Amino acid sequence: MTISRRVFVKSGGLALFSLGLDPLFLARAALAVRPSAGPPDRRILVCLFQRGAVDGLNMVVPHGDPIYYRERPRIAVPERDVVDLDGYFGLHPRLAALKALWDAKSLAAIHAVGSPDATRSHFDAQDYMESGTPGVKATPDGWLNRYCQHDREHQDTPFRAVAFGPQLPRILAGSAPTLAIDDLQAFGLKGPQPAARDRLTRAFEELYAGSATGLLSTTSQEAFEAVQTLKRVDPAHYQPADGAEYPRGRLGRAMLEIAQLIKADVGLQVAFADVTGWDTHVNQGASEGQLATRLGELGQALAAFTRDLGERMRDVVVLTMSEFGRTVRENGNAGTDHGHATAMLVLGGPVNGGRVLGKWPGLDPARRFEGRDVAVTTDFRDLFAELLARHLGAGDLSATFPGFTPDPARFPGAIRA
Amino acid sequence: MRIRIVSPVLALLLPLNARAQHPALTPHDSAFHALNRLAYGPRPGEVDRVAAQGVMSWIDRQLVPDRIADERLTQRERGLTILDDDRSDLAAMYVAAQRARRGRKRADSAADTLDDNPVVQRGRRLAAQFQELAVVRAALSERQMYQVMVDFWTNHFNVYLAKGADRFLTSDYVEHTIRPHALGRFEDLLIATAQSPAMLFYLDNWQSVAPGSSPRGRRSAWRTAETQARKRTPQGINENYARELLELHTLGVDGGYTQQDVIAVARILTGWGIRRPQHGGDFEFHDWAHDTGEKQVLGVRFPAGHGRDEGVRLLTLLANHPTTLQHVSQELCQRLVSDDPPDGCVDDALAAWRQSNGDIREVLRAILHGPAFWSPVSVGAKVKTPLEFVVSAMRAVSAEPDTTPRLARVVARLGQPLYLHVAPDGYPEREAAWVNSGALLDRMNTAVALAAGRLPGVTMALDSIALVADAEQLIAAVNDKILGGMMSENTKAVIRRQIADVRDPKQATALAIGLALGGPEFQRQ
Repeated sequence: MTISRRVFVKSGGLALFSLGLDPLFLARAALAVRPSAGPPDRRILVCLFQRGAVDGLNMVVPHGDPIYYRERPRIAVPERDVVDLDGYFGLHPRLAALKALWDAKSLAAIHAVGSPDATRSHFDAQDYMESGTPGVKATPDGWLNRYCQHDREHQDTPFRAVAFGPQLPRILAGSAPTLAIDDLQAFGLKGPQPAARDRLTRAFEELYAGSATGLLSTTSQEAFEAVQTLKRVDPAHYQPADGAEYPRGRLGRAMLEIAQLIKADVGLQVAFADVTGWDTHVNQGASEGQLATRLGELGQALAAFTRDLGERMRDVVVLTMSEFGRTVRENGNAGTDHGHATAMLVLGGPVNGGRVLGKWPGLDPARRFEGRDVAVTTDFRDLFAELLARHLGAGDLSATFPGFTPDPARFPGAIRA
Repeated sequence: MRIRIVSPVLALLLPLNARAQHPALTPHDSAFHALNRLAYGPRPGEVDRVAAQGVMSWIDRQLVPDRIADERLTQRERGLTILDDDRSDLAAMYVAAQRARRGRKRADSAADTLDDNPVVQRGRRLAAQFQELAVVRAALSERQMYQVMVDFWTNHFNVYLAKGADRFLTSDYVEHTIRPHALGRFEDLLIATAQSPAMLFYLDNWQSVAPGSSPRGRRSAWRTAETQARKRTPQGINENYARELLELHTLGVDGGYTQQDVIAVARILTGWGIRRPQHGGDFEFHDWAHDTGEKQVLGVRFPAGHGRDEGVRLLTLLANHPTTLQHVSQELCQRLVSDDPPDGCVDDALAAWRQSNGDIREVLRAILHGPAFWSPVSVGAKVKTPLEFVVSAMRAVSAEPDTTPRLARVVARLGQPLYLHVAPDGYPEREAAWVNSGALLDRMNTAVALAAGRLPGVTMALDSIALVADAEQLIAAVNDKILGGMMSENTKAVIRRQIADVRDPKQATALAIGLALGGPEFQRQ
């Protein structure tokens, strides 16, 4: 039997305590001397999928371009409301809570990022962004799962790759073990009271320990190990640190649970959650309105998450992704239709922040994709590959992105060297 | 050649000559194995009945489902309105839903969802009803092997219920494209799927047109909100269906075709489209969209000047291509025998395929008469899918789905939302896809809830297993009825310990059944 990484990390922490040293103090000291992340096996990637295609132009606003205001008479974010970042780009006012992270150089935006495939179907574009193979529909697994298959570092913990939601998303589907957790508190055997639950858990544990064969045997061990771990974590009594307030709703709950698992040191490396409601064809709004509400929730959740994690953010990168962007010009319903490139956010300690990354193609109609949408200048796989390589320390990525050769020269530079 | 002399009496007793090469399964174990693999698990007493009848004669009967009376299922189906809707009803509903969507846009309402729209609600209800129907059929039908094969082909020719118009086309697809051909000829099945509106929509072939062609004012009304957003008619070929046709439906991923073949196949199938939903939404060949130039596929020439006929010629070619035979035979053996089936199984299937010109019934017969199926290593070699797990558990305790879609939601929660596998490859056949820690714990919870009569969507009478005060009798009954006598000593010991201090026989029974259904033996088939 192997000693799990979790136990190892935990006893490492205990060893420090027994020497009379406060690990948190050491962490702070390390941060002050050399502001870089911990070893690769402590690092964590959190992916948020903005399903429905977020309007990148109203999330990270090119307020320095008059074309933006000309094309969006009803839905442009007024200059006076934009949270300016660099004189040309600015954040939507409802993302103002993230400005402090920008100033601390731990938030970056990548603009004009997207798929080389021209589809404007949500279905196809989400599929491609999750399989990591634009244009190829038959890819059976997702790129995050393939990464887990080929980088075996963390395979001894059931919490390595977790999707927070009722079903395992395509991006995490595949042969590497992954978890879908809808409710951390409900994970495990159900029972009327804790005693009945524990007894049932023990009974099934004995059943599988003695009677299961093959994959059922190893997986059940992982499952009961996970149940034990969560019992120790005690998710029912979790208190976010530093007064962090997560927004109500699915996203806030998912971010809170991700923070819990990170702090519990259960070996979480890849976390995933969905954020829905971005398909703003009608009455999108500008500083206020539909999109503003969604962005407000996102900003609040991200701000609460970073506050809650505090020092731990030095090992964490959060990435937002969305299947495509939206039309430069507003439509007849004061909304936007399906476009091409969008913007993504990366935040966390290892991020090369305070900058809008990627090559900005501009809004000039002549430079647009098919004359109407922001052109893609960064293949999303170059961004994803950079995060896997430079943040998680992945080696060969050829199997993670089949048919694509990630080239460090094309990486947008989201992670500090 | 060696001549084996077998006494005629012995030959009658042994279902197969294969038995001579393997330690034979007993008639009881053969029946249990067949009911697990070719059906959705045995109901109480069924193993003994099939064993008495002879498992091979049960298989022969199952291969001709039309001759099996299925009154109980027929009764249940009568209560489902979705089976009364024909394609034009569903197409009309699609039009109404689209209109409602456009109406909402015009009204500039700030509502986030369409939930309050009655047409959209009806569409959702029908989709849920159709998912439930799959569970009901698997649980109640006497034509069990037929239901298994319908599931196999629906998965082989996967479509995605939640993609736009497929919300309204999928039920028609399963009823009128898959089911009539599930035990027929592969070629007919392939052609039927190729011209089914559900598949044409799912893999975009309805939008695939010869470059430069235009519909002469007949704009298709099958535009979803997505295509409408483009505000333009399709231009040029779409390779999606062509690629999956070669890669998944026929030749297989390493089937020796090239990108040039994919393009040629797409060109041959240009014009295979869908009639406007206002006119019933059937398959329609559009002359104007067809590429009439010369093409070449897998070295075979398709001369210029042809229309729909060259598509049929192509599909016939693909359906009978040796690589297709190999690929699909392999998949059938994987489904019926083991995740990594022995070559002999595939060879038997191939031989029958060639001899019968692709008669699925004969291919199945060959697999089920072959030694691989009856080898003791095949027994329990496969892990049940969530659907198989839920339905077999219900059958084991004589439970039945109620009239709500809740049981289909249980199957979805365990990882298999029906008709909702997004990628065209269908749900995976290998165990690694189904066995993960979260799903395994969910199965245990489902088993305990079912045994306690608390599983939503189920009506049951737990007295199928007699209430006995004696622990050993109870364990023996659970072993016999639920695990076909294959309960391990460890499982017996654990159940014995767990029920030791439970006074109420009803509670003890529920606990024993819950542990047996949620335990490792029952996850296998």
